[in-house]
Amino acid sequence: MDRLASSSDSVSINRRAFLGGGAAALVVPFTVSFSARAQAAGSTLGAYLKIDSTNVVTVYVGSTEMGQGIMTGLAQLVAEELMLSWSQVRGEQALASSASPNPYGNPLFGMQLTGGSTSMRGWYLPMRKAAAIAREQLLAAARQLYGGAWTLKAGGQVTNGPVAYPFSALVATAVTIPPLTSPTLATTSTVIGKKMPRLDIPAKVNGSAIFGIDVRVPGMVYASVVHCPTLTGKVASMPTTAAGALALVNLGNAVGVVANDTWTAMKIARSLASKIAWTQPANMATLDSALVQANGRALAQATNVAPKIYETTGAVDPAIVLASTRKVDALYQTPFLAHACMEVLNCTASVTATSCEVWAPTQGQQFCIPTIQAITGLAPAQITVHTTFLGGGLGRKIEQDYIAQAVTIAKAVGKPVKLTWSREQDFKNDKYRPTAAMRVQLGGLDSNGAITAMLYRNVSTSINGQKGNPEDTGAVAGAVGLPYPIVNRRVEFVANPCDVPLGYWRSVGESYNIFAIESAIDELALALGRDPMALRKSLLVADARARGVVDAVDKMSGWSTSTAPSGSARGVAFMKGFGSYIALVVQVSRKTDGTIKVDKAFCAIDCGVAINPDSIEAQVQGGIIHGLTAALWGEAVIVNGAPKPGNFSNYRVAKARDVPQMSVAVIASTAAPGGVGETGVPCVAPAIANAWAKLSGQRIRTLPFYSGATMSGL
Amino acid sequence: MATNLTLNVNGVNYSVAVADTSMPLLWVLRDMIGLTGTKYGCGIEVCGACTVLVNGQREHSCVFDVGSAVGKQIVTVEGLAKDAQGQKAQAAWIANQVPQCGYCQPGMLTATVGAMKAGHHGSEIMSEVDHICVCGTYSRIAKATQAL
Repeated sequence: MDRLASSSDSVSINRRAFLGGGAAALVVPFTVSFSARAQAAGSTLGAYLKIDSTNVVTVYVGSTEMGQGIMTGLAQLVAEELMLSWSQVRGEQALASSASPNPYGNPLFGMQLTGGSTSMRGWYLPMRKAAAIAREQLLAAARQLYGGAWTLKAGGQVTNGPVAYPFSALVATAVTIPPLTSPTLATTSTVIGKKMPRLDIPAKVNGSAIFGIDVRVPGMVYASVVHCPTLTGKVASMPTTAAGALALVNLGNAVGVVANDTWTAMKIARSLASKIAWTQPANMATLDSALVQANGRALAQATNVAPKIYETTGAVDPAIVLASTRKVDALYQTPFLAHACMEVLNCTASVTATSCEVWAPTQGQQFCIPTIQAITGLAPAQITVHTTFLGGGLGRKIEQDYIAQAVTIAKAVGKPVKLTWSREQDFKNDKYRPTAAMRVQLGGLDSNGAITAMLYRNVSTSINGQKGNPEDTGAVAGAVGLPYPIVNRRVEFVANPCDVPLGYWRSVGESYNIFAIESAIDELALALGRDPMALRKSLLVADARARGVVDAVDKMSGWSTSTAPSGSARGVAFMKGFGSYIALVVQVSRKTDGTIKVDKAFCAIDCGVAINPDSIEAQVQGGIIHGLTAALWGEAVIVNGAPKPGNFSNYRVAKARDVPQMSVAVIASTAAPGGVGETGVPCVAPAIANAWAKLSGQRIRTLPFYSGATMSGL
Repeated sequence: MATNLTLNVNGVNYSVAVADTSMPLLWVLRDMIGLTGTKYGCGIEVCGACTVLVNGQREHSCVFDVGSAVGKQIVTVEGLAKDAQGQKAQAAWIANQVPQCGYCQPGMLTATVGAMKAGHHGSEIMSEVDHICVCGTYSRIAKATQAL
C-alpha cells in the first residue's frame, strides 16, 4: 500500500512487484561509490566516469539504452557539469553489479533495472552530483599539483588564466582526493536542454552497433530453442541426439539445440517439436484468452467479490452518490499483448568452473547475477554480465528466462554459446501484457463543476499475483490519483486468476487504465452535452501543468477554432503519469474499406526539464506509433494454451502507410524531469476511440479495433 | 561434405565452407563471416531487417540461398559507406536522428540505398521500403529520405 499515499504513476511499483511478497518499497539512498568494480582499464572517477589519456570522458550508464536515448541524456548531464565538448563524450553500459547499495541501481528504487520511464527521473540529480564531485576533485588536483586557483575551461580542461591542462593530466591525482558530499551543481544550460546528437546513432547507422544478437566470442557455438507448444508445459522426454546438432539440452520447459550456426540450430529446433514428449499443464483449457476475458467481464460486474480498494476519496460511498447522479456506466476491455521487439530474445554465455561471463540485451541487470548464481553455484564476484544494445526492450527484456537458458546450455556444453530464439518462439513464449476489464461509473457535475463520484473497478490478470503477491497496485496505475476533481471516488482491483505468463509492457497499467478513464471522460462529456475538450479544460482548471498540455493540443489541432475537415473527426485524451503531463488530439477519417485512418496527431508533453528535446520528440512520436499498433490491431489470442501470434505476418504492427502526420510540442518547464519513454503510448487508444465515436457514432470499448488483423490484410 | 564457396561482400572475397548451400545468406554473413550488421527479424521476408543488396537489387537475406549469391556483388550495411549514395543516406539518417533502438535501421538504410540505385528519389523511397520499425521511426525516415 506504500504507493497509494503519494503517487499515481508506476515508479514505486517496480521493486515490490519484482521481489514479490509484501515487502515495502525500499529506496536506497544514493551514494557516489569509489568501491564499485572498475569497469575497464583507465582512470575512473567514482563509479560513473572514466577519463582516458586522450581526454575522452566515458560515462558508465546503469540504465539500459534501448532506443530511448538514456545513454545520451546522462552523458549530457555530465558534459554540462564538466564543460565537456560533445565530441569528447562517450557512453558505455555499466556491468551488472551485485553491490548493495547498487551504484548502478536507479536511485529512485535502488535496483539496476530499466522500466517505468524512471531513468532520467532517477539519475538527473545523482548523475549531475557525481559529475560535480569529479569536477571538484579535478580542480583540487590542479591546486595540489600546481598551486593557485583553477577553474574549468570548455573542452574538459582546467585553467588558471595563462595555463590550461586537460583533465587527463589531472585524473591520477584527482582520484586520490576525497570526494565532496555536497558539490555545487552547474547553473549553465550549455548542453542540458539542447538537441545534442545521440551518442549511439552513428554506430546504429553504419552497422557497427553491437546488439545482444551480434555478440561473438572466440570458440563459441550457436543455439536455439523449442518450447512446449502449450504455455507452461514441460519436457517429459526428449531425443538425446539429432542429426546436425552438437548437443540437445533439456531446459525444463524447452529443449536447447546447439549447432555450428544459428540457422541449423533453429531448423533442428523446429523439427524437434514433434519428437519431444511434453507434459501438458493440467489447466491447459483455462489458458485461453476468450475464457479469461469473459471471466474478466463477469468479475467487473460481480457483486459477490471483495475487491482490493486502492483509492478512496470523499465523505460518501460513490455507489450511493451514483445512484442518483450516474451519467456513465461503461465496461472497457483490453487484450493480452505480445512485446514483438525487433530483436528476438538472445543471450551469449560462457561458463567455466570458476567463472561465468554473459552478454545480454537486458533491462533487468539486478536479477541477472542471482539468476546465474542459481544455475552455476558461482559467487557474484565470479560473474560478469555485460549489457549490449537492445533491439527494443518494451518490458520483455526485464525477464530472465532467456538468460537462464543460455547459461544452462553453456554450462552443459562447456563452450561459449550464443542462444537466439526464432521469431516464432519469441511470439509464442512471451510474457504477455495482462488483459484487463474495467468498469467505470461516473456521476455528473456538482455546483463547483467537479465530478460527483467515480466508481472504478479494474479486473486484470495480475503480474504480482503470479509472483505470489496478492497486492497489485500496478494494475490500477493510471486510474488512481487522477487530476480531475472527483469528489467521491473508489478505485477497486479484482485479480482475474490466470496462468498465462505475464510481464510488463511499455506503459504498464496506464496502457489500459488510461484507455478506460479517458474514454469514460469523453462519454461523460457527451452525456452532459459538453465538448470533450472544453470539459477537460474546465475540470483541469486548477492544475497549471495539466492545462498547459491540454491548451497546447487545443491550439495545435485547431479544435476550438475550426471544425474538422469533412469526413474527419477529432478525439482528445490526456494523462498525468510517469511524472509527466501529456495530451493528444488525433484526427481520423475512414478509408475506402470503411476502417479507420489516423490522419493527424497533435501531442503536447510537459516532462519537466527537457534534457534533450529532440529525443523527447522522438520518443513521443514512437510512443504514438506503438499506441496506434496496440489500439487498432494488438492482440495475442491464446487458444487452449497455444498462443496464436507466430510472426509479424499475423501480428499486425504499424507500418509507414499507417503513420499520421505528427506534431509534438515539448512544453518548456523548470519542474523536475518526468518520464518520457512510455508517456506517449497510453493516450493513443482513447483519443482514437473518442474520435471514432464522433465520426461514426460507434463507441469502441473493447480493444483492439480490428481483431484478427494480418500484416498483408487489414 | 561441406561446400566451399567464395562470396564477395562489400568488395571483399570471403571463403566459406557451408554444410548446405540452401543456408540463407543472412546466417552466412552473421555467423560465418562475422558481419553482424545485417539483422534477423522475422525469417519470412516480412519485416525487412535482413535486407542486403545483391548486384544492386534489394534482397531479403533471410530467405536468399547462399548458393545463389556466389559470383555476385553483395553489399551489407557495413559496406554502404563505400559509395556516395550510401554516404548520403547515412548522413541523412544522422542529420535527422532517425534510429531509436536501431535494430531495423541497417535494413532500412540498405533498402533505401537500393531504392536510390533503382532510380527512386524523395518520397518514392518510403513506398519502396515497406519495412517494420517497432520503435516507430517512420516519420523521421520519411524526412531523411525527402532529400535523397
